[in-house]
Amino acid sequence: MEVTLKIFRYDPDKETKGNHSEYAIDVDENATVLDGLMEVKSSHDSSLSFKGSCRTGLCGDCSVQVNGKGTVACRTTLAKAVKKGKDGVVSVDPLYPAKKIKDLIYNQNDFLLEKYKSMKPWVVSNLAHGAREDEVSDSTIKELQRVMSCTMCGLCDQGCLVIAVDEQYVGPAALNKVYRVVMDPRDSSKREKLEFASGARKVWDCTHCFEATAHCPKDVRPTESIFELRDMAIKHGIGHGRPVNHHKSFAASVKNDGWLDETRLAIETEGWFNLPGLLKLGPVGLRAFMKRKAPLPYFLHKKRKGADAIKRIFNKWERES
Amino acid sequence: MNKYAFFPGCVAKGGCPELYPAAVKVANKLGFDLVEMEDVGCTGAGVLSQEVSDPINARTLAKAEVLGLPIMTICSTCQGVIGKANLRLQKDPEYREKINRDYLAEEGLEYQGTTDVKHMLWILGEDYGLEKLKEQVVNPLTGVKIASFYGCYMRRPSDVLQLDQFPDRKKYLEATIEILGGEAVATKGKGQCCGFPILSANERNSLEMCGNHTIEAKKKGADVMVTPCPLCHLELDGMQPRAESHKSQKIQLPVLHLPQLVGLAIGFTPKDMKMERHIVSTKSFEKQIQWIEVLSKNPV
Ligand code: SF4
Ligand code: FES
Repeated sequence: MEVTLKIFRYDPDKETKGNHSEYAIDVDENATVLDGLMEVKSSHDSSLSFKGSCRTGLCGDCSVQVNGKGTVACRTTLAKAVKKGKDGVVSVDPLYPAKKIKDLIYNQNDFLLEKYKSMKPWVVSNLAHGAREDEVSDSTIKELQRVMSCTMCGLCDQGCLVIAVDEQYVGPAALNKVYRVVMDPRDSSKREKLEFASGARKVWDCTHCFEATAHCPKDVRPTESIFELRDMAIKHGIGHGRPVNHHKSFAASVKNDGWLDETRLAIETEGWFNLPGLLKLGPVGLRAFMKRKAPLPYFLHKKRKGADAIKRIFNKWERES
Repeated sequence: MNKYAFFPGCVAKGGCPELYPAAVKVANKLGFDLVEMEDVGCTGAGVLSQEVSDPINARTLAKAEVLGLPIMTICSTCQGVIGKANLRLQKDPEYREKINRDYLAEEGLEYQGTTDVKHMLWILGEDYGLEKLKEQVVNPLTGVKIASFYGCYMRRPSDVLQLDQFPDRKKYLEATIEILGGEAVATKGKGQCCGFPILSANERNSLEMCGNHTIEAKKKGADVMVTPCPLCHLELDGMQPRAESHKSQKIQLPVLHLPQLVGLAIGFTPKDMKMERHIVSTKSFEKQIQWIEVLSKNPV
């Protein structure tokens, strides 16, 4: 099979900006993008730099953008990529939020690893040194299987719509990892980790757009892990400020009326005593009020029929959890 | 006959009060028979824990099952959240039984897993049919450039959207625009997050998203944007003035709810569709339409 690869080339010793070069190669029908890169390296240009190790989708090393989409190079066949490529040419670029080092190699440190480390994603055991091994049951580990299968490929962070506008956001890969540790029965630093995860630019900054889940090649579903972290933080009474107020007010409103009271939500999110915050709501609220694009004022918000049944569900859930 | 258990959601009657009447008028004009579900709860909108929103949604699904009707939603977020709950309840009979036993039995309800949940956009594409919709168009939106904006929950995750069964669900918005006579403007942002969910957590990021999407559409020549999600509308229309100051530039892109766009093309007036309630004026767009025929009286 003949394929043309259009690869991003960048040599920091020679240039400040990179550019693309095209290479025509002849490969096997079921060759992957990673095979293609190796072919270019051996038959066209031995200076081409890229990463890859296991070639079976396990090490998470070979993530690149193929035709503008983040993917694992060793799990993407060229035959498929050609169909999606522009004019039959397959483009290969490094993941985008990261700083480029050379060709397809990017700096994983600030993009992924530093954020990851900041979450202290390791088990802090309570066992005294030298004590018996800390055991985990099979069933517990099975439940963690999904989140444990993360390979740190970085594709969820690459797809993350918040990182796209704010590089400082900690991102789904790191949050998923902290969730994995918090769920581990051996960990004794649950509260501390949840408190850290509830700080600025972490769990509450996620828009739950499901891009992370959609981008993950291992079905880790990081978006779901973030949901769970939020629920846990709320249950443990951890976190404060607007997002937590918002969450609590939302729940209280549905619990009492069966549906959302948006005026109450807006005010309670700012906090009843937060004068600057409330004043900021003014222009938005006034604009909406003048155009009659506004929910009913707080005191006019009516209970839904069926509100009692909803309240019963809430009470029961709260009793049980 | 297109008969549905109608689930309007909170925002169509709250923060976007123009959406509910527009949707009802259009549905009636197209001959849908809507039975509004009045005694059911908020889906949880991805804010409430699944542990409590699943039983609330199971209750809604069970009530529609009793009516023997599929549910029609008019909000991407409602659709995504109740659709996801439905998928879990349908796939896992043990889980469903537990919810039935623990939460629904008391009211004499039991969800058996047979209810279908569809957004009005999907209903137009799948049940009613876009060709049939075309026959209803009296004021084609000829020459109007329209950017689509789906809302996250109408794009992901693919299992909840049932994309293997309905691969076109990611294209209906553009297809609808074309059927109404308009020109669909392709944008990068159409499937992305509007920014609304993080308005309280990180206003800067939220406004950045709102600004990026509206500016991108404008740059690509869009005269107007259309969305099937009222939460996206709250952000893209309601927060647009704030996004303008955040981005230090004028944007002025009118944003319509899906039923409003359909409504205008099938003969309703902007007043019928309550477009005066929008934050960003829709006047410039209204002038682009050739008003060939207007329903003299509201059929509702
Ligand atoms: S969660 Fe998935 S996409 Fe994200 S780093 Fe891990 S394996 Fe990659
Ligand atoms: S080389 Fe290990 S995941 Fe691709």
